[in-house]
Amino acid sequence: MPDLVSLTVDDRVVQVPSNTGLVEAALAAGVEIPVFCYEPRLGAPIGACRMCLVEIEGIPKLQAGCTLTAIDGMVVRTAATSAKAADGQESTLEFILVNHPLDCPVCDKGGECPLQDLTFRYGPGRTRMTFPKVTFDKPIPVSPLIALDRERCILCYRCTRFSEEVAEDGLLIARNRGARSEIATFEDEPYRSVFSGNVIELCPVGALTSSMYRFDARPWEIQNVPTVCTGCATGCNVTATIREGKVKRILSRNHAEIDRGWLCDKGRFTYPHLLARDRITAPLQRGPKGLKEVSWDEALDAAEEMLREAEGAIVTALSGSETTEIAYALGRLLRGGVGAHSAVLPEATSDALEAFRLPLSAIAEAELVVVVGDDPVVERAPIVDLWLKEARRRGAEVVACSPTGTVQVAPGGSAAFCQGISAAGNELGQRLRNADRAVLVWSGPGGGGGARIAELAHELGFEEKPGCGAFHLPVTPNGRAVAAAWSASADADETRPETISVLVVSGEDAAADPGVRALAEQAERVIVVTMFHELVGGWADLILPATGALERDGTTMNLEGRLQRLRRAVAPPCPDELAWISKLAARFDVEISPHASAVFAELSEHLFQDLSMDEIGLRAALPSRTAYEAPAPAAQPASVPEHGATELRLQRYRALISGPAVERVRELEFQRPEREVEISAVDARQRGISSGDPVLVRSNGTSIELRARVNRRLVEGIARVAEEHAADLHAVVEVVKA
Amino acid sequence: MDANNPILLMAGTQEHDLTRLDEYRAVGGYKALERARALEPQAVMDEISAATLRGRGGAGFPMGRKASLLAKGTGKPTYLVINADESEPGAFKDRDVLRMTPHRLIEGCLITAHGIGSKSVFIYIRGEYAHEFDVMRDALEDARTAGLLGGVTIVLHRGAGAYICGEETALLESLEGQRGQPRPRPPFPPVNGLYGAPTQINNVSTIALVPKIIELGAAEFSKIGVPSAPGTAVFSLSGNVAEPGNYERQLGTTLRELIYDVAGGIAGGRELKAVIPGGSSVPVLTPAEIDTPMDYDSIQAAGSFFGSAAIIVVDDRCCMVQLALRAEQFYMHESCGKCTPCRVGTRWLVQLLTKIEEGRGDRSDLDLLEGVCDRMLGKSLCALGDFAVYPVASYLEKYRGEFEAHVDGHGCPFGGASSIEGTFAPSDQHAPNLAETVHA
Repeated sequence: MPDLVSLTVDDRVVQVPSNTGLVEAALAAGVEIPVFCYEPRLGAPIGACRMCLVEIEGIPKLQAGCTLTAIDGMVVRTAATSAKAADGQESTLEFILVNHPLDCPVCDKGGECPLQDLTFRYGPGRTRMTFPKVTFDKPIPVSPLIALDRERCILCYRCTRFSEEVAEDGLLIARNRGARSEIATFEDEPYRSVFSGNVIELCPVGALTSSMYRFDARPWEIQNVPTVCTGCATGCNVTATIREGKVKRILSRNHAEIDRGWLCDKGRFTYPHLLARDRITAPLQRGPKGLKEVSWDEALDAAEEMLREAEGAIVTALSGSETTEIAYALGRLLRGGVGAHSAVLPEATSDALEAFRLPLSAIAEAELVVVVGDDPVVERAPIVDLWLKEARRRGAEVVACSPTGTVQVAPGGSAAFCQGISAAGNELGQRLRNADRAVLVWSGPGGGGGARIAELAHELGFEEKPGCGAFHLPVTPNGRAVAAAWSASADADETRPETISVLVVSGEDAAADPGVRALAEQAERVIVVTMFHELVGGWADLILPATGALERDGTTMNLEGRLQRLRRAVAPPCPDELAWISKLAARFDVEISPHASAVFAELSEHLFQDLSMDEIGLRAALPSRTAYEAPAPAAQPASVPEHGATELRLQRYRALISGPAVERVRELEFQRPEREVEISAVDARQRGISSGDPVLVRSNGTSIELRARVNRRLVEGIARVAEEHAADLHAVVEVVKA
Repeated sequence: MDANNPILLMAGTQEHDLTRLDEYRAVGGYKALERARALEPQAVMDEISAATLRGRGGAGFPMGRKASLLAKGTGKPTYLVINADESEPGAFKDRDVLRMTPHRLIEGCLITAHGIGSKSVFIYIRGEYAHEFDVMRDALEDARTAGLLGGVTIVLHRGAGAYICGEETALLESLEGQRGQPRPRPPFPPVNGLYGAPTQINNVSTIALVPKIIELGAAEFSKIGVPSAPGTAVFSLSGNVAEPGNYERQLGTTLRELIYDVAGGIAGGRELKAVIPGGSSVPVLTPAEIDTPMDYDSIQAAGSFFGSAAIIVVDDRCCMVQLALRAEQFYMHESCGKCTPCRVGTRWLVQLLTKIEEGRGDRSDLDLLEGVCDRMLGKSLCALGDFAVYPVASYLEKYRGEFEAHVDGHGCPFGGASSIEGTFAPSDQHAPNLAETVHA
């Protein structure tokens, strides 16, 4: 229990813990201290805007309330009870408005603008300024996603502080001084950071606006729907802004334990994929002249026929981005209805991690964090990367053990590395054992979906320490609940058919997966459920239109194991999955509701102790830890491919800003991975390659030209290429100058 | 030492080339360091406290009391930072210390470092002081070669041409490689200063007096000057005086003595119109007020500030509106832009003063000018916001008739005959910036 201090704000006495900021202390007393630049998530207050001026008894000058902390016996007067403070706040607003263009009628922020609101409450109401205002060229595209209006900017430095102190990219800067001070990007380069969109929300005026939302809606003609992002497994809470049935923008919806109000650009800017040019809105069936649109009745007839004829020789490929309800309903249809128990499931997450469950926010409190795995955290779960950065800023030691980490571990070596940590006498292991607040993170493929770090956490005695935990960062947003729902939908063991009569592909991620494509080659018939034509046009026999997460009701489980609710923000342009699954299932005498809540009620019985959908709430709670159960032991580690002295091992990685939805958003193009291959400094020197050189990356008969990037932190012997540029390259490649 | 005119800071500079280590040693240099190092650190600081050495940078805060606020037991190093970013219009006292007696500053640094237990000293030198930097660099090299540093590292850091970096927290930011902008206080530098460590910051002239305190002893030192502010100061006399320059005198010497007896009176036998006693940022005094003694408390009682002891003398040719405009152009140019009132207010004041000077204003503009000053005063993050107001507000208060004449007569009554030449630097050096910024 922290020490309490008692202070008086506008004649109200309030008790708060010592070291509480004055803005928060006043709020506890029910008093508003208005602010622009103050934002506690951005580090230490800077006292720049002077909106928060208050009178403190005993101090002659007005003080910036945001920079003070509550002290016992402090007597604070705000504009409500002090003419001096009121004059201070009116002064600040008069000064801010001196150069502000007051183009509110055409400003995106108008109607939801802190400057408008505070001017209304504390401002002078009229201006005494009769001279020309400071002018700037505008708008400046700081990136294809963000437009900057320097005339509207009130120089609160929220955006530059975010860039400097939260994302730590250092790309947004303030330059010049005095009246010519302006926000810019470093060297006027595009603001290329996966966190860039957060500055739009942080901006208290209309200076930083989304180029997609710009001039598209006014706040009084929109609806905001609270839902959850499914761009990755973090499950950031978001609000979808809807106007006339279309998604106009995505905002973060602060869940203090998950995202703290931050959102990555994939989550924020991918929504236009719902209106992609090749979006499928009606079923398509392959006939003699190729794919042709058919009615739903015809489509369901065709599907029924295919499934019946297959006699169980069916394999279902799931994406891991389905809602829990869709996965369960599909399972009921295919397993219960036609005995098709064979599935290709998304990357697993080990249940053993439940014994080490923590909210993501606990990372910030940690003293020691060990990250293992082949993939950078930012590519798998970007917001987790922000938590790690915060932990480091707060003094935690963050040990990255990866091909590019401070501790270099070659791809595929993480499981063995974890065993090494748990071995007696390991120095890092010892420190983990001694720590009260330590966190393990697995970021990469393999490892039994976090089973290896669960074992490590168990060895280190983390079950007994409430501040210690372990996370696995899966590559799919809902893979864990999809697998669980599929498993719960029938009571039978999986038997892989010898030949595949029908392959059912559920969702874009499965459709884009090379392994699934290979299965499709073996299958006689392929049914695909997808949003996009271009992805499957060449190989599907029957295409059923899919919906996007923003069009779905249902549940999704994030990487913490927290079940969250998706709410339908917009109506899909076609019947949703549950609607046709329900109809098709009826033909096989399986009864499954077309309504997500009813499906959830059914599956909840098996999976979530009869939790009801309403109980999940707007900001879902984290289930408590369960007892540790040892996971299945590691399979024989995949043999590391042999390679000659002149060859390198290809490491493919899935970039965050990639995938079928992202590819359909033109504005995100500049954020996608460069066409490049990363190699270590040693490998580069041996081949006479420098950064920027065009190189050929070759393996058995395949050769692609990429630009070289020498990564001094990369372990030797590796050629690192983004999945979308690696094409058909094999596991061992040659890299030579083009 | 002349009892009536004791010379402490500049002692020996007339007769010797004190930039040379041997000559500085010949006049007793580095003896005080030797003596101080033989003392316990606390004893050194006690001596400085007993001498009531008040900061010569402007605020006059006692150096010993400042040092007593240094946080102890933080596990971080304690830093000593010397503010040599002398940029106030009219001020050039530190420049002479730097270029004529650099070893006195170095000795003061080493004694103070011993006193506060610091191993790292940073001297932040105004960027434009290129020659002074060279002198300091050579002197530091000599001191190092002679083995005088005793394990203390002294870093010379050149500023990049920003007035604001003379503000102590902006100086620290700049020293850390950040944008030169002030920090909110609290926390104050003695608790959370350079790189978050306890930091003692003092002006060049303050630290350069430290060897003399050790040499003379606090009791002897306190006999010089006035009881509330013992010692001497180098007064920079500029503007329309017959013999402008730096003069070291005891604190408490009146403005009249400084202007008429020391600097030879008003140039060309003209009439005295106004005195700005502490650099362009402090409120103006009228001829009726020049019997005020120049020490911190007396000058403050008279409604102005001791500032950087930079006395700008203004004769009767000068238009006070022009002078205010010129001062405000400077502050607009130098406003760092971090906080709202200063960034916006300085430009607005320049626009208003331009309008009044050009004869386009009316009486309501004078009220507005006063109103904008009121709204800026006491609301900024650092003192620059107030500095930018004092000249305008005090000229308007004390010379309101002249402002009224501008608006009533639709033009400057001085016309072509007016001149601020020799008072403030011409505005051309800021002209490109002003032109794109201000349309009045």
